[in-house]
Amino acid sequence: MRLLTLAFVAIAALPWAATAAAAPEVAVTLGATPTEVRVGEAMRLEVNVRVRGGGRIQNLELSDLEKYPELEIISHQTMRPMHFSFGFGSGVQKESSITNIYVLRPTVAGTYDFAPAVAKVDGKVYRSAPLTLVVHPGVGNVGGGADPAAVHGATVDSELTGARYDERAFLRTVVEPDEVYIGQQVNVTVYLYSRLRLSPQSVMPGKPSMDGFWVHDEPITSLQSQTVPVMGANYRAYVVQRSAAFPQRSGELTIGPPKVTFDVGGGSLFDAPERVQRVGVPVTVDVKPLPSPGPPGAVVGRYTVQAWLDRATADTGDAVTLRIDAAGLGNVQDLRIHVPPIVGVRTLQPAIRDQRHVQGGKLSGTRSWEWILIPEAPGEHTVPPIDLHFFDPDAEKYDTASTPALTFAASGAAKPSRPEIEPIDTPPKPSAAAFGPIRMYSALMRDETPVRERAWFAWLLAFPPVLFVLLMLGAGAARRREQQSSTTVVVQRQLIRNAENALQANDPRTFYDRIVAAITHALDSRLGEPVGGLPHAQLRTRLIAEGFDDDLVQRVINELEGADFARFAASGVSKDEMKRCHQRTAAIIERVQRARRKK
Amino acid sequence: MRAWYVALAILLAPVGTAAQQPDRATGGSSLTGIFETANVSASRGDHLGAIANYRKLIEAGVHDPDVYFNLATSLAQSGDYPRGILNYERALTLRPGDGKASENLRAAEKALEERRAEAEGEAMIQRSSSISDAVYGGLSEDALAIALLVANLFFFVALGWAAIGRRRNGWLYALLVSSGVALLFCALGLGAKAGLLREGPRAVALDDRVVLREGPDPRAQVRGEARGGDRGEIVDRDRDFVKLRVVSGLEGWTPSAGIGFIDPDHGVH
Repeated sequence: MRLLTLAFVAIAALPWAATAAAAPEVAVTLGATPTEVRVGEAMRLEVNVRVRGGGRIQNLELSDLEKYPELEIISHQTMRPMHFSFGFGSGVQKESSITNIYVLRPTVAGTYDFAPAVAKVDGKVYRSAPLTLVVHPGVGNVGGGADPAAVHGATVDSELTGARYDERAFLRTVVEPDEVYIGQQVNVTVYLYSRLRLSPQSVMPGKPSMDGFWVHDEPITSLQSQTVPVMGANYRAYVVQRSAAFPQRSGELTIGPPKVTFDVGGGSLFDAPERVQRVGVPVTVDVKPLPSPGPPGAVVGRYTVQAWLDRATADTGDAVTLRIDAAGLGNVQDLRIHVPPIVGVRTLQPAIRDQRHVQGGKLSGTRSWEWILIPEAPGEHTVPPIDLHFFDPDAEKYDTASTPALTFAASGAAKPSRPEIEPIDTPPKPSAAAFGPIRMYSALMRDETPVRERAWFAWLLAFPPVLFVLLMLGAGAARRREQQSSTTVVVQRQLIRNAENALQANDPRTFYDRIVAAITHALDSRLGEPVGGLPHAQLRTRLIAEGFDDDLVQRVINELEGADFARFAASGVSKDEMKRCHQRTAAIIERVQRARRKK
Repeated sequence: MRAWYVALAILLAPVGTAAQQPDRATGGSSLTGIFETANVSASRGDHLGAIANYRKLIEAGVHDPDVYFNLATSLAQSGDYPRGILNYERALTLRPGDGKASENLRAAEKALEERRAEAEGEAMIQRSSSISDAVYGGLSEDALAIALLVANLFFFVALGWAAIGRRRNGWLYALLVSSGVALLFCALGLGAKAGLLREGPRAVALDDRVVLREGPDPRAQVRGEARGGDRGEIVDRDRDFVKLRVVSGLEGWTPSAGIGFIDPDHGVH
């Protein structure tokens, strides 16, 4: 029983111990992806502090970021991804974190050393590992991230292309290159040149129309400026729009005039802000068709393809996933791949996911297809090689990327074919996360009553404790009866012993007194109630009613009457008579104890 | 003895057969048809069609973890991450330990955070994860209930034996302690699963911004707001309003239409 108590105490203390033992665990990390880039390429710098165990994050700092103005901060996001609270029912511990994500675009080559990021949690200071970023010089003319002053400033004075000059502020559209193949990327950058003191928050650019292009916009989250000399005056040049455009038809395509509105002035109560609007000029792009002859379905770019199956064997009717990834430079949304029909295999419509990013001003990415293949016939099935034809505009030639043939084996009985799922040409909605595939089979279970709410559960749960309680009550009653019985026997023996002593002492009065007491006690304990006070006639009736046999009743009454008589006429009683009385009384008491009563 | 085994096998045979044919027992061909139509829509990328058909199944009384999983997946793929999170939670309630559902739930939370961080610069989703979730997360409520019955039987048999038996060996006390521990473990787990340790049913905020007010009235003063995907408990109800307490401790009244109950019997979202 002591063991059981100890176990219960230990279990009850578990939650408390878990809470008490949980000291805050703090991890500070500083990382970048990638750590080596070229000038103008974007990189992602991530600072994270994660606290587990209830600590409060007071501060997270990366002081060296301000030390390097050469690293242009394009965007800054703060995330507090999770907030856990632990404990039975209510929050006892929590896990929290803060992540600062900076998208940087270096403007100067070099090595940038970052001291460890510092986090303050509950007054204590924690540090990350240091970090080094390497920026290499840029290659070629990188429109996306180039310094506007460095790239275009020199030509502004001589020929102000793509702009209508204004001495206060004007817009300029720069298109690079202005002669491309259909499907080839064109970088479109809109600059705002201003000599006015404008409020960057008030700048609202209007997108130029780009009919005939598929456009991928790069978000401009922070307006940065460079000083550029134009017509002998210094202007602040802001990039207000940056897009990668892909012409969808050949011929001369026009990019419409950009617009922008912004506020100037408003620095004091007496200086009301002035709303300024500027409109740029349209620019044209000469789009050439792809050279002939070329393979059918060729796209523009430079790609590699990979294919694999998630398993080599499957049961018939089970699903095998075929995945093909096409990655490279270009607009991955143009990519189309079809899996030809495979005999004995049902092919479901693929799930398509795109990942796009701009690197060195060029849009690149990966398109992933996932087909569910369901073998309906046993045997070996082969996915044939799949070709992706593309035209490389830099090399100005066609090329082909191919997947290898993939084989898987199906076993089991043939499954009947189901209606084919017809493909439709709805473009997949781009999604950053992957959630598929869906589950093709389900038991379609209906709402079932939980086991704990079924009637038999309560009965089954109550049965063992109720049985235990009944058992303990029965055992207790038996024990009490046993104790009572043993007490009765002891008293009985004592009374008989007293009668024997009185016999030895030749004291008839005491002897018969003890004889009457012994018989009365035997009857009391047998009947469970005192009967000593009853007249003999009533006692006779009672004993007969209780089921004692007539002979025993007669003997009891005779002995009691004889003893009563002898107590009051003790002088006439001989010792032999007392001995016989003692023997009779012992026999009567034994018969009374054994006698069966009526139920 | 062999006769007993044969009798037992005959008795259990119908149970096994019924377990292998759940579709025949529980679902009709029309339900199977709706499920397949929904799957076809989902495979085609027609998420709205898939969602409508999966909801039709649920409204028809089907409470199956795979259906909730597919519904959640379609919702998440269509960009409705809060409702995706809600239905992944439901799938996990019905089938604890479903690794893919847990993985997708995290992916949906991450996608929602990233979308919000991109738009607002900062994102936080509040979700609760108690020790009871960590300990009993992989066990179903029914399994705990059956284990409770068995542990209860063993415990009281051992206790009765220890109380009135004449021979008390070491193994009897070992059985008593182990069955007692198991009994306590199962009872706590069942209590946690049944919500006895919570103040109300679990819920997920579905609207992007769920305004929490002082009282169940649209004119009541605003206390704060929960964001889509935030977890909480419903601690009170009044007509079409519910009182939501989110993990941070903030609580307030909000129209019930913007809240989804994780326990499937409370409604379809």
